[in-house]
Amino acid sequence: MSPTAIRADLPRRDAEDKLRGRTRYAVDSSRPGMLHAALRRADVAAGRIVRIDTTQAQAMPGVRAIVGAEEAPGRYGVGIADHPLFATGEIRYHGEPLVAVAAETLEQARAAAAAVVVEVEPYDAHLSMADALAAEAREVHPGWRDYEVLHEGGQREGNIAWEASVVRGDTDAAFARDDVVIVTSEFTAGRQNQAALEPRVCVASYEDGRFVLETSTQVPWSVRNNTATLLGISPSAVRVVVPAVGGGFGGKFEVSCEPFAALLARASGRPVRVAYSREEEMLTSVARENAEIRIRSAVTRDGEIVAREAVVLLDCGAYGGEQIFLTSMTAHTLCGNYQLGSVRLVSRAVYTNTAPTGPMRACNGPSATFALERHTDEICAAIGMDRFAFRRRNVLGDGDLGSTGQVFQGDVLGPMLDRMVALREAGPELPPADGRLRGTSTVVGMWAVGVGPSAATVNVNADGSVTLITSGVEIGSGSTIQAIPQIVADTLGVRAEDVVVKAADTDAAGYDVGVGGGRTTVSLGAAGTAAGLDARRKLLDVAADMLEAAPEDLLLADGHVSVVGDPDQRLTVAAVAAHAQDRVGPISGSGSFASRREATAIPGCAAGHMVDALDIPIFAVHECDVAVDPETGHVEVLAYRVVQDVGIAINPRAIAGQIQGGVVQGLGYALHEEITIGEDGQIRQRGFESYRPPLVKDVVTVHSDLYEGAPSYGPLGAKGTGEIPILPVPAAIACAVADATGQQVQRIPLTPPRVLGLLLDDIEGPVDLTHLASDWRGNVLGDVEARLAAAASY
Amino acid sequence: MVAVAEAELYLPSSLQDALRVLADGGGAAVPLAGATWAMRAVLRGEELAARYVALSGLDELRTVEVAADGSLAIGACVTHARLGEAVADQPNLRGLHDAATKAANAAVREAATVGGNLSVAAFPAADLVPALLCLDAEVELARPDGNERVSLERFLQLRSELAPGTVLARVHVPAGRLRTAHARLPLRVAGDYPVAIVSVALDVAADGTVARAAVAVGSVEAVARRWPELEAELVGKPVGAEAAAVAAKALSATFHGREGIEAPGWYRVSVLPTLVRRALTALSGQEGNQ
Amino acid sequence: MTIELTVNGETRTVTAAPLTPLAEVLREELYLTGTKQACGEGFCGSCTVLLDDAAAPSCLTPVGMAAGKAVRTIESLAPGMSELSPLQQAMKDADAVQCGMCFPGILMGLTALLARQPEPTEDDVRTALSGHLCRCTGYARIVDAALSVCVPAERGV
Repeated sequence: MSPTAIRADLPRRDAEDKLRGRTRYAVDSSRPGMLHAALRRADVAAGRIVRIDTTQAQAMPGVRAIVGAEEAPGRYGVGIADHPLFATGEIRYHGEPLVAVAAETLEQARAAAAAVVVEVEPYDAHLSMADALAAEAREVHPGWRDYEVLHEGGQREGNIAWEASVVRGDTDAAFARDDVVIVTSEFTAGRQNQAALEPRVCVASYEDGRFVLETSTQVPWSVRNNTATLLGISPSAVRVVVPAVGGGFGGKFEVSCEPFAALLARASGRPVRVAYSREEEMLTSVARENAEIRIRSAVTRDGEIVAREAVVLLDCGAYGGEQIFLTSMTAHTLCGNYQLGSVRLVSRAVYTNTAPTGPMRACNGPSATFALERHTDEICAAIGMDRFAFRRRNVLGDGDLGSTGQVFQGDVLGPMLDRMVALREAGPELPPADGRLRGTSTVVGMWAVGVGPSAATVNVNADGSVTLITSGVEIGSGSTIQAIPQIVADTLGVRAEDVVVKAADTDAAGYDVGVGGGRTTVSLGAAGTAAGLDARRKLLDVAADMLEAAPEDLLLADGHVSVVGDPDQRLTVAAVAAHAQDRVGPISGSGSFASRREATAIPGCAAGHMVDALDIPIFAVHECDVAVDPETGHVEVLAYRVVQDVGIAINPRAIAGQIQGGVVQGLGYALHEEITIGEDGQIRQRGFESYRPPLVKDVVTVHSDLYEGAPSYGPLGAKGTGEIPILPVPAAIACAVADATGQQVQRIPLTPPRVLGLLLDDIEGPVDLTHLASDWRGNVLGDVEARLAAAASY
Repeated sequence: MVAVAEAELYLPSSLQDALRVLADGGGAAVPLAGATWAMRAVLRGEELAARYVALSGLDELRTVEVAADGSLAIGACVTHARLGEAVADQPNLRGLHDAATKAANAAVREAATVGGNLSVAAFPAADLVPALLCLDAEVELARPDGNERVSLERFLQLRSELAPGTVLARVHVPAGRLRTAHARLPLRVAGDYPVAIVSVALDVAADGTVARAAVAVGSVEAVARRWPELEAELVGKPVGAEAAAVAAKALSATFHGREGIEAPGWYRVSVLPTLVRRALTALSGQEGNQ
Repeated sequence: MTIELTVNGETRTVTAAPLTPLAEVLREELYLTGTKQACGEGFCGSCTVLLDDAAAPSCLTPVGMAAGKAVRTIESLAPGMSELSPLQQAMKDADAVQCGMCFPGILMGLTALLARQPEPTEDDVRTALSGHLCRCTGYARIVDAALSVCVPAERGV
């Protein structure tokens, strides 16, 4: 291992231009002759499209192209291809695109879009999951049976877009034991908007029969492939290039504005920019989903959890999108963390007539962990056990079974809890009492590194520099621009700054799932490592000839190849690369990565899961101290502590930055950021006046401790570090607020009105989940009895 | 419908010039001060005016004059930031100072003006309105044919129906031996509009009892207003934050909190006693303008 | 209409409707894309520029009202090959930058603070920053870097 590139707080190479205002994001891109685009969106939540007439709009000043559903015949999706580009036949959410217009100026495009005549016969909209699940409820997708299924295995029925379930052990017997206490808890969690400062934006051109999309995305290949699907063209006709991205957080993990830009560029013959306004971002981002959760456990008096059952509803909005996949994750986030004697869980993505939701940083992890950890505290209260001691007793350890029967390796959470005690004791004292209600909490959380395919190419240039070519985009975390070159430099014995990172371009680099799921450092890092090692082998072969030594006797470090035991015998990497270029051709290496699929569930445990076991789990322990103003409901976070499992810290300072940023985003979800849906089906928070991410005076400096050494097959043992910092935050806050107030906290976000409502006379009342069947079986599709009977044996 | 590309901006040479253009324009020409409200018209789904008359470049509207007796004449185009600086050393205007220096955020305070803050009828969370209401401020309305002074309370009723060519030119704050405070409650610590505001001005007699009290409440209802019932409770008693909060609680049913995206009506009313206590605590240490 | 602006010390003539946001003119006409326009309603601070040395939300500033005033954008802090300003350097040294979208506004907001108040207190600095939304960093390093440059006690004065 080269000491120069790993565990090193290397500065970011992109910082200086960002500070000078010179970095060009996609939103800063413009081209000669570029047109501007606007979408005409639905202004009802549900209805049949009677007529769309663009005649008048076509004649408006400056208009150069108008496109609609006829130009985009395809449907895309994650598990089910249910999502057309434009509303087709019927409208399923307020804000759904109907027509796209390109004009010389943005104002002209908007005026023309407004002039499109739209006639709709409205339906009663399903604005909540309770509405959508009511008996005889109208189906949001009457044609759901005919949709192409992209991933088999999920149960589907009416407005249940997808159902995943887990059964392990004899839950009936365990719940019936006479030595257990049964605790039932119910929770709801709101939506959260990613609110990246750069909106979703694309500048498209149509060149030589191909679409060139310069866009702000986390997933260049997904944009390429899904644009082609929607337009009904070959994926090879789409090229996606991605400059620096001004924040993603999951909001750019799906195709979005790119196909509109592509169609308009082709129709007009001009470059076209589609840039979503902040209002469009607020109303139509693939926000973190709202969720409804019931969780019930049977626990012995000495704290053993003998059974757990859960019902989870995830509101996917009008289209299934990523929620189809994410039903897989609640097995791990809601029924993870702890040893369970037996478990049954059903997780449903539910169609409603609301804007589609999607993946936001750690996805359903924050809401599920909120529910799980509040439930855990309610268990502790019910059996009279200390909350820390209960967790220390029950967290997953080496050889323990997860909910799906996966065998976990290594004692990680237990020692991390012990480290938290040390971190707490080393921390600063809290401010003195001031009349507000004080509360504290310790919570645990579990997430996973999103593995999945990546490719990398490494060119070793004759000047000794290295060019790294991947489809990784830099969304701000520094993984692509800094961590991966550090890893590649390590394989080639060069300095990290000698590794040039090529911006993502699907014409240049091979397939990649995308930057998200905390996978960048692991997956792209592993592909980069493989490419680096491939180039290294070629480099050493050439050097061996030059030095008249065997390749295995050579050492590659500090920009030189030397002979072991004879340090005078050495050549620069540049000299070797130049020699190679002349004699055998330039040196390049290629590498790739895919999930090793090492972790396995017990067969039969999980149904409808795209991920039934976690290749690389990640753990976190969070603690906070809060003060609650009993008169206004304001919650002040006095101190916040994190112990995070990182595998190995490639760049410790960068990880600490991810922890601070992730925790603060979590504080937003826990305390400030609220999304509500009006009676018309439109999201009410249309901008940053009413949608309130934390500002500087709302945050604290997080004290963190990086826990190294937990197993990971990532490069050098690395794990993804960017997602999990947000995951336990709502749990930590909610548990601390419950501790401070003595109230049963069932909802997030804990805005001041909500907290004051709890303290006054429970103004909101208990959470109403009466649309769930009281018996767990009643919430499950398919032959549930047969599955339960089979599960009793494993 | 007027597009941004079509809307005109007139830069007048004097206030008289502005008044003339506004009067000639009828309803199609409207005054523009800091522009921070007007520039969001499209986002609010509102129509633009055909012509905006920019007042903020007029020096005669950009001064804060402090008379020998301590009374103030604040030009309508004085920004929040300049107002905050101008009254920073006035011990009897702590409330006005806090209203001017805590509203919105630093950059907006450099643009948003006193006149704009008082004139926008659709903005219930304006900080300066309650702060000036409890100072018994008057506004000076300029018209082509002469100026007129009306109470701020009266102006709040008139402001949506002013005849074209009528412009809020100055705000007059009478001298007073007052202790003042401005308690505002945003949902975050800073940076958003307050969901409720209590501004208080007390004239405290030599014996420590309240001789005259003015309490104004903003953001709770659609338009800020005085709280006469609470004022009556405070008079004749020593300055007492706790007692005032208790009185406020008993009297808060006189308010009908407005429902909003950010907070329900009941919440705005519920926090009033706390804001009253905070305001009185803030001013209890003040000396007044002896 | 034709409007004459003074931008970063140079006279620039632009053709724009007078109610066009200054931010849009800077970005779309003058290609000074360092100024961002992330919310368009004065709540995120990403469009902050200097107007006659005071911080201004350029998304809410009609370009017609900026005529005759000195406009300064992020591009002026360290023009050409010149070194980073102390504020920029402090942000770089603190590894404060992530996606980077908020920094131009933050740097101009702090520059305005120092222009008006050469020796601000810690609370002044936090107050100046409280109109700036950063979605990535959680602010801690931005605050520390800003304090190290802005507050006399922090910089050892």
